[in-house]
Amino acid sequence: MSIQTPKDISSIDFGLMDPETYRDMSITKVITADTYDDDGFPIDMGLMDPRLGVIDPGLECPTCGQRSGSCPGHFGHIELAAPVIHVGFSKRVRRLLRGTCRNCSKLLLTSEERGEFLDRLERTIELGDDQSDVMKAAIRQARKKDQCPHCGEKQFDIKHEKPTTYYEVQDVLTNEFPELIAAAMQGDAVRDEDPDDVDRDPMSPDELANETGIELSRINEILSGTFRPRPEDRKAIEKALSVDLTEEDMNKLMASDIRDWFESIPDEDLEVLGIDSDHSRPEWMILTVLPVPPVTARPSITLDNGQRSEDDLTHKLVDIIRINQRFMENREAGAPQLIIEDLWELLQYHVTTFMDNEISGTPPARHRSGRPLKTLSQRLKGKEGRFRGSLSGKRVNFSARTVISPDPTLSLNEVGVPDRVAEEMTQTMTVTERNREQAQQYVSNGPNTHPGANYVKRPDGRRLKVTEKNCEELAEKVEVGWEVNRHLVDGDIIIFNRQPSLHRMSIMAHEVVVMPYKTFRLNTTVCPPYNADFDGDEMNMHALQNEEARAEARVLMRVQEQILSPRFGENIIGAIQDHISGTYLLTHENPEFNETQALDLLRATRVDELPEPDRIDGDIEYWTGRTLFSELLPDGLDLEFTSATGDTVLIEDGELIEGTIDEDGVGAFGGTVVDTICKQYSTTRARMFINEVAALAMRAIMHFGFSIGIDDESIPGEARAEIDETIDNAYDRVEELIEIYENGDLESLPGRTVSETLEMKIMQALGKVRDTAGDIVSDYFGDDNPAVVMAQSGARGSMLNLTQMAGCVGQQAVRGERINRGYEDRTLSHYKADDLGADAHGFVESSYRSGLTPREFFFHAVSGREGLVDTAVRTSKSGYLQRRLINALSELETQYDGTVRNTKDTIVQFEFGEDGTSPVKVSSDVDHAVDVAEIADSVLDAEFEDGGATFLEQVRDETDTRTNLSERMDAITAQGDD
Amino acid sequence: MVDATEHELVPEHHLVEEERLEEILDEYNIDRTDLPKIKRLDPALRDVDAEAGDVIRIERDSRTTDTAIVYRLVIE
Repeated sequence: MSIQTPKDISSIDFGLMDPETYRDMSITKVITADTYDDDGFPIDMGLMDPRLGVIDPGLECPTCGQRSGSCPGHFGHIELAAPVIHVGFSKRVRRLLRGTCRNCSKLLLTSEERGEFLDRLERTIELGDDQSDVMKAAIRQARKKDQCPHCGEKQFDIKHEKPTTYYEVQDVLTNEFPELIAAAMQGDAVRDEDPDDVDRDPMSPDELANETGIELSRINEILSGTFRPRPEDRKAIEKALSVDLTEEDMNKLMASDIRDWFESIPDEDLEVLGIDSDHSRPEWMILTVLPVPPVTARPSITLDNGQRSEDDLTHKLVDIIRINQRFMENREAGAPQLIIEDLWELLQYHVTTFMDNEISGTPPARHRSGRPLKTLSQRLKGKEGRFRGSLSGKRVNFSARTVISPDPTLSLNEVGVPDRVAEEMTQTMTVTERNREQAQQYVSNGPNTHPGANYVKRPDGRRLKVTEKNCEELAEKVEVGWEVNRHLVDGDIIIFNRQPSLHRMSIMAHEVVVMPYKTFRLNTTVCPPYNADFDGDEMNMHALQNEEARAEARVLMRVQEQILSPRFGENIIGAIQDHISGTYLLTHENPEFNETQALDLLRATRVDELPEPDRIDGDIEYWTGRTLFSELLPDGLDLEFTSATGDTVLIEDGELIEGTIDEDGVGAFGGTVVDTICKQYSTTRARMFINEVAALAMRAIMHFGFSIGIDDESIPGEARAEIDETIDNAYDRVEELIEIYENGDLESLPGRTVSETLEMKIMQALGKVRDTAGDIVSDYFGDDNPAVVMAQSGARGSMLNLTQMAGCVGQQAVRGERINRGYEDRTLSHYKADDLGADAHGFVESSYRSGLTPREFFFHAVSGREGLVDTAVRTSKSGYLQRRLINALSELETQYDGTVRNTKDTIVQFEFGEDGTSPVKVSSDVDHAVDVAEIADSVLDAEFEDGGATFLEQVRDETDTRTNLSERMDAITAQGDD
Repeated sequence: MVDATEHELVPEHHLVEEERLEEILDEYNIDRTDLPKIKRLDPALRDVDAEAGDVIRIERDSRTTDTAIVYRLVIE
């Protein structure tokens, strides 16, 4: 066999393989079950025959002449002593047996029926539906026939015993035939006939012989039971005596019988069933020859002690060959049918488990150690199988994984890469005249100094490793046309990912900033898209290896291009947690700052000059928080919205006039200002804004100081008294309800029982306690309370959390009901049976600050556990659901004509999303996706007010198409933006 | 029996004439079997006299584009 050049695949046929093809393909027949002889050489025509391919390095393959690694391996074959059913087709075999005649093998359909199914099949193919439905329907129709419409043969039911045994349920001569015939000859009732209904004339053996044409002596033999009548004689006797001599019996169909049966199914009949007889004759489902996979598919490994350990497939093949040989020997020796059948079944078992070792009803073939063997089907199936484990997903080079930690000084586009990672991941640079010196510098730095190089490739294709020893020497040699694998340096683009990759933003491109220490560093504003925190999360990095990939990553995948989420059409990147508290403190009460303070707040931004002061007191100038925040806003931004705090935020021409900037302003998940800048200006401007808001907010929160402690949740005595009173009232109300209930006076709500009504009312009464407690608590906490600040601004936590900390934890629930489980008729042994009271069913009146009583603590743990279980179940369920959804949708693609089609080119949507718009390109304004009035106004203004200057400027701003490729471009790009 | 076509959420279903159909198929460069399908006995087709192989035009109300037009091939 010569080496073949790769060819384009024009088509692939799927079908069964002809045993003759197996034999042609095979390089050798395998007849010996042994693998190696005593000297350790592989045995010819054994399972390790060298012609099946080489796995030992250095040897030459006797078949193709190639060496280990390039030799693909070559199939051999085993001639099976008897045909065996292929398990993978057991259902199809059953269908064919049921749908075809046992005598003439024709499909049990009349020509009209055949025509109908042919039409239906044609239509199904045209519509692209599942053809096997038609086959199933045709078989169902054919199975109804109990006589062949072609040859008239009586048909029997086929029973399938999984996995590979088939029986014909047949009528055979019962063993009681002598008694039955004798009784019938005397005119008596036979079997379960009613004696009154029988009018059978007695008949002598002579008469019977005459009637049936059987010799009298035979009749006597039959009557004595020494001779079993042949079927035709049986029928004659049955007719003469009008008696049924049969009983149901299972007649096992041997694989060879089935093969003969299938061989004579005509091609035209197969067509009706959707089987293409050119590629798949049904008899090929019954194996007569078994292909032996090449050794490259089942390599043996040499253990440390020098012993060879064979692959599971090899073990299985050994079994098959052994049984095969025993079968042949026994048959040649003329062994009894029973033994032959046993061996046949054994052979069937081994061939079955060779293909699939996880068949229900069949004990899996096991290794000596008791571990089930991993055979063909197990190699392909499931998560770790060939498809999902080795083809769809594989391990890759140029990737790194480590713990992440925050670094607020990085831009959100950047990622801090540990130097030791940067030295390992390389980028290929092609040496040109312009970068030669740079390349030489990298090489001369060697592999262990940071901006160094690990390998060089000469134009002749030779790759040389750069070492500490040869780097100087090698650097001199680097010429134009060489390739240098240099370390990652600042500004390189890489791909960054955190699992589970549930949406597009789980994989984004970042610019490298090489840093000391061992963790990846990221800006905290990119935590929401990755859903990352720093409690030990790890992330993966992939260094891109060609220019196209790098360009695509820069233009399409960079973090700033992902600020808007297609999930809800608003920004997913923005201020979080302390950033929000910071901007809240800065803008809520609009505090004033002197020059030093103001400059300090803005020092991490691009702003290096303060605007006009808001107030001058004597000779001291003051700037307000809103003025400072306005410095970050782009010119010309007009906005009005309601903040999370509840006030109206007004921004005019890039100045924050009034309102609090909080979660609804700059937060991740739909902060209006960020969203608007992203849509009206550019992603670059939005990125700068987010970076600067984060920087300003950090300065602001540090200026004011922000901490929370146990005392921030303590409430004065009168508040505690108020809450206690509410609780007491609720307890009284509950007692009252229980009393009404026990007196039988409680009226049930529609559709509920009385006890359900009671439960609902109690829950209601107790639920009110927590609400009231919340109101009381918030009355006593000032607006400067850090927990309140966080809750109001939307930074973290809610008023409910605060209520539970300071006021009262409230009712604990399991499945939305009060806690009812535990002992018989009570939750804990501390309570009386059937106690319906609040405390007996998990009402926690303490606050987290005051601490829970032991019983309260227990109930709290009960409902806490439910929460944990719920999340665990939810993640696994939704993960599987997501996988199925993705598999179903993965082939859909929006075409250039705007339609969404699948790979079969059938239309799924006539216009993407029915409107052909991207969710991220649409305004987040609820009322109008396109603000026509606004556009008209700005056009009119521009036209008539200053001769179009503003308009032109605006157009220029909005059509800013300069590609911002890197953080380093900021200085150039930024000039035009403000 | 409830008449589904009367329900406010069920959009208008109309038969597409053969001449018009050619244009549509040309526009999308498809065969009619590439269209989405609808069963002949679909409750929404109660008032439409459609045979298998006909094409139905559905005018849906759309939040973003007012109306969205969808074609479906009638199947058995």
